[in-house]
Amino acid sequence: MIQDLQYVGGSYPVHDVAQKVTGELVYGSDFSVPGMLHAKLILSTIPHGIVTRIDAASAEALPGVVKVFSHENAPMDGFSRARIHPGQDMSFYDETLFSKHVRFVGDRVAAVVATSRATAEAAAALVEVEYEELPAVLTVDQALADGAPAIHEGGNLLYEHEIEKGERPDLAGAVLVTTTASTPRVHHAALEPHVCIAQGHSTGGMTVWTTSQGVYAARTVIAELLGLEYHRVRVMKVPMGGSFGGKTEYIIEPVCAFLAHATRRPVKLLLDREECMIATMVRPATTTTIRTACTLDGELLDFEAATTLDSGGFAASTPDYSVHMCKKVTKLYRVPHYQHQGRAVYTNTPVGGAARGWGAPEMTAATEIHMDRVAAALRLDPVEFRLKNMVEPQDTDLVTGLPLGEARVRECLERGAVAFDWVARRARPAGRGRIRRGVGVAAGAHKNGMFGAFPEASRMGLKMNEDGTFELHASLHEVGCGIVTTMKVIVGEVLGLHPDLIAAGEADTATTPFDYGTYGSRVTYVVGECARVVAERVKERLLAAASDLLQEPVERLVVRDGAVRVRADGERSIAYRDIARLTEMRAVPNIAASTTYYAVSNPAAYSVQFAEVEVDTATGLTAVTDFLAVADVGRAINRGMVEAQYQGGVQMGIGYALYEHLDVDGRGRAGIDGFKNYHIANAPEMPPVRVELIEAGEELGPFGAKSVGEIATVPTAGAVVNAVNNALGTELSDLPLTPEKILAALHREEVPCSSC
Amino acid sequence: MQLVLTVNGMTHEVEARPTARLLDVLRDQLGLTGTKEGCAEGECGACTVIVGGKAVNSCVMLAVQARGKEILTVEGLAKEGELDLLQQKFVEYGAVQCGYCTPGMLMSAKALLMGNAVPSEQDIRIALAGNLCRCTGYSAIVAAVKAASGREAAPLMELPGDAEELAAEVTTDPDTLAAACEVVEAETEDAPAGLCEPGALPGLVDPYDQSQSGIPGETEGGE
Amino acid sequence: MSDVTTTEVLTPSTRDELVAALARATPRTRLLAGGTDLVRALRRPGAEPDLLVDLSGLDELKAVRLDGEMLHVGALTTFTQLQWDPLVREHAACLSLAAAQVGSAQIRNAGTLGGNVANASPCADGVTALTALGAEVTTVDGAGAAKTRPLGEVVLGPNRTSLRHNEAITAFAFPALGPDQRSAFSKIGSRTAVSVARLSCALAVRFDATAAALADVRIALGAVGEAAFRALEVERALEGRPADEETARLFAEGCVAAVQGSIPGRYSLPYKQHAAVGLAYDAWNMLALGAPCEPAWA
Repeated sequence: MIQDLQYVGGSYPVHDVAQKVTGELVYGSDFSVPGMLHAKLILSTIPHGIVTRIDAASAEALPGVVKVFSHENAPMDGFSRARIHPGQDMSFYDETLFSKHVRFVGDRVAAVVATSRATAEAAAALVEVEYEELPAVLTVDQALADGAPAIHEGGNLLYEHEIEKGERPDLAGAVLVTTTASTPRVHHAALEPHVCIAQGHSTGGMTVWTTSQGVYAARTVIAELLGLEYHRVRVMKVPMGGSFGGKTEYIIEPVCAFLAHATRRPVKLLLDREECMIATMVRPATTTTIRTACTLDGELLDFEAATTLDSGGFAASTPDYSVHMCKKVTKLYRVPHYQHQGRAVYTNTPVGGAARGWGAPEMTAATEIHMDRVAAALRLDPVEFRLKNMVEPQDTDLVTGLPLGEARVRECLERGAVAFDWVARRARPAGRGRIRRGVGVAAGAHKNGMFGAFPEASRMGLKMNEDGTFELHASLHEVGCGIVTTMKVIVGEVLGLHPDLIAAGEADTATTPFDYGTYGSRVTYVVGECARVVAERVKERLLAAASDLLQEPVERLVVRDGAVRVRADGERSIAYRDIARLTEMRAVPNIAASTTYYAVSNPAAYSVQFAEVEVDTATGLTAVTDFLAVADVGRAINRGMVEAQYQGGVQMGIGYALYEHLDVDGRGRAGIDGFKNYHIANAPEMPPVRVELIEAGEELGPFGAKSVGEIATVPTAGAVVNAVNNALGTELSDLPLTPEKILAALHREEVPCSSC
Repeated sequence: MQLVLTVNGMTHEVEARPTARLLDVLRDQLGLTGTKEGCAEGECGACTVIVGGKAVNSCVMLAVQARGKEILTVEGLAKEGELDLLQQKFVEYGAVQCGYCTPGMLMSAKALLMGNAVPSEQDIRIALAGNLCRCTGYSAIVAAVKAASGREAAPLMELPGDAEELAAEVTTDPDTLAAACEVVEAETEDAPAGLCEPGALPGLVDPYDQSQSGIPGETEGGE
Repeated sequence: MSDVTTTEVLTPSTRDELVAALARATPRTRLLAGGTDLVRALRRPGAEPDLLVDLSGLDELKAVRLDGEMLHVGALTTFTQLQWDPLVREHAACLSLAAAQVGSAQIRNAGTLGGNVANASPCADGVTALTALGAEVTTVDGAGAAKTRPLGEVVLGPNRTSLRHNEAITAFAFPALGPDQRSAFSKIGSRTAVSVARLSCALAVRFDATAAALADVRIALGAVGEAAFRALEVERALEGRPADEETARLFAEGCVAAVQGSIPGRYSLPYKQHAAVGLAYDAWNMLALGAPCEPAWA
């Protein structure tokens, strides 16, 4: 460590941990306001059709029911649940509050508003809906087939893109390998269900409390849909129980706001687990075919990929998601020529959209499975083969043209291989008994914010209070990963003040300055740097004030431990509290600053992960028995939280590799009974997960820090799948590797499919 | 119907539908929203409370079933503002991220420790098998439970200090403060009279002067 | 409030009170044991019962007792109780093992054996174990009449029983396994813990040490077919055989055949017929009659 840091690098609990362990914290789902009504959605029970009749008479006759809303009495303007800025490119306004043309089981048909949740639920069951059914297309292949019914105007091929970078070298004598991998539709499975509360005021304005990952964008959608000026719509972020991308897009906020606006009352829309699974959003299913050419020595010459993404019934963010899948490989590997074709396709299934990693887990699983296949073809060890092709620090990303920065993925791989005892474990025979053991590795990369693809900036204010404590005004969106604490630590480090003496609240469009929100791995790297910069501005003012008060030149002053101190003179210092009071005597409290920070870089963050598995060849069940994640984080702002996020990311990736899949049957129904048969890894399933950090800094990150939350889960599934294939000598690439698929592969049978 | 329920040591009379779940009565009628609803089907464990000494899912238990039994929820763990040891360890070991699973985890862990003071790692994982978490991967939670049963590993987190104590620790030397005060007085036309007198500013006191009452304006004794 | 309901709750605490409550039962009446199945079902609109008979006050239905040769297990014993009860562990190990693998700790603490049987899920682990044990079910109805009949006459198919709306299970009884008998329970779910069974097996044998032969073999398979069933052909195949690897193999093969016969043409058959091998070996090894066996691989 070059710098001597006091707070950065410590391990801090989340800022509201005390309220969380006592149960005091009021989450969105706990939130209520006086006179609040409750809403219940009525969802389509068919995958494709037109609503021909809605009979709400019996429902509305129930005492306590205020009204039933549907396409018949709600605005039918199209909106995009993924749009951030008004007029943003690539926004598909293909969704309406309620659908007349229903496009998947789970599509919103109507909503009941009533005085209690129980009444709303009872009334919803009484609403009669009739449909004219249309033929449904439940898979990408069906959707693209000749004569397939069009789900939206313009057909089912929602979006297509192609990039080609570099020059294809001579491939004579090269080893060519082609693989196809597929990843499933997945439920984010945040423990708190989706919820929104909105209050329509009799003066025509609107207040919204939501667990969204981006309140400003939520406001643009709500305000425009309801024809309200933005200044009359206030959207506030309330505490949320996890998101993982599932609450990035504005799905229930517009509906809830409309209901509140129409009834001029507060309305709470709280979904149940099944509704969360099918009627919000899913991680989209993908299929990726990769073809590479390598020299016999293992040097990559050419990388071509074709990805198809299942968007489900609405476009949401999947076109952008699809585009981003082409930006993953060249962050990781050096290759002279990269070509990528991507498609996003409408189907009559739940809507795909933002999910942790934004296409990286999907693309990385396919890539890393492919890399193992190439290594096998070349008879090279998987780690050795990757090392021959990995990027180096300061390389340029072939696809984006941006510098990759302090890219330490090679080091992750080397150190990880040693720490995991890779060579010895790999040499160990899988065995021929019932239980087969294997190890696998996968490398992953992810971005740090949206620079290069999208405007990327944050805006914040920081002020000192009259007693020497501080307040950060920023639109922070805490999703559980400790970002509020991260900001406090960064500011505290700059100001030489314990983070606990700095307050930082969450986003409120009425009072906190603009920030996009918590997604895109932008928070530590971009928002955090904004916090550092604004803290530096405030520090300048502190020093200037102290310089005057102490009659010392600024160069002789430092901030440390809550006071401005004269260097090398332990006697003379002035506490912030006293600076505050004295400066206040001659001016209003003015030790404050605000700043807009524009990102000008987008390096990559990396993780290399190693898995050991035991596969029971009699039952097909796989146990992950050991796991190591090596993380290139630049610098850990909150060391404990970085490790904690990695452990959670690994849990998600293990489920992705082995058992999570939200399939639909021939009638487009998910057939899932909530968590009863949608399994995520529980405590007995999880192995001990070691996390090792590589902190080599990053020039423009706050104290050299890079973002963590998404990269943590990017290579996990690839590592697990590679380990299973190592254990069994198979070439499985259709995630998740359920017991059915494993036994079918071992017995060389087709896997029967009862669902898509 | 009328129900009498004993929750966290207090007896409550509530009016509830006969088919009301224990979860609904706790949250909606007793205002104890610490217990959460995550799935409504007894799978995720966010609704875990302790009834009659046993951890149960309150979303698949009717309130009528809990009559005559001691009900313990997360709100009943801390005593008079002091966190229960288990809660303390959850904080120390970084076992809390979004926190939504936390009340349920605490109650399952509490029930485990009530019946088994020194559970093995496997005992803990099995006891928590019905509590899903999507943030932590469980290891910090398991470590916290182990620590609460007397087997400490290395706590992950640095605990927040008391902010007021932290703030109070930093003071300015009286001479320095007096000099700074004079700077301000000289620069400010309308400085209040006696700006630089001890007691004029809260905190501007001679720490060795016992006679100081600290009331601004009072200049008796001291500097 | 608009959601006024006329559900009446009765909480009998004696057998007589139970009978009186059952006398008032209609087809819309529900009996509440642990609630882990019923409370979910009650949330469906229109599912409000006219009468809810809360059985939690019937302490006499929570007992486990040995009466000569028979083990009597009250209908309201919870899975946690069954997991730890010394009599169950000694005389009906397969039931104790099955109980230990039902759901999570929270579910085991509330869920009851009677509720498990009355709900009659084809995957019900309790039913599989009771089937191997040859259990009989005692019920009482609103007229006070007690009936005892074999489990197979109570559980008829997926979520179907012969129980009438005014009839409550009070106890289960089966011959207690003696010191020369062993039993085991294995289950295959979608993950190691907290998973509904995709396959389950309860196995009980008498091992005659002098003859070194298996006798009184009982094998129940669950989560395949309409309800748990005894694999009679496999039992016959094992009868009199030594406790060796060949027998283990025959057992596994027999289970595969039994599974194939129970769900012909079902899409899950390819998986289940293979996984049945693992299921069988797990149960066999749990008996600990010799060194652990592994399936042979071609």
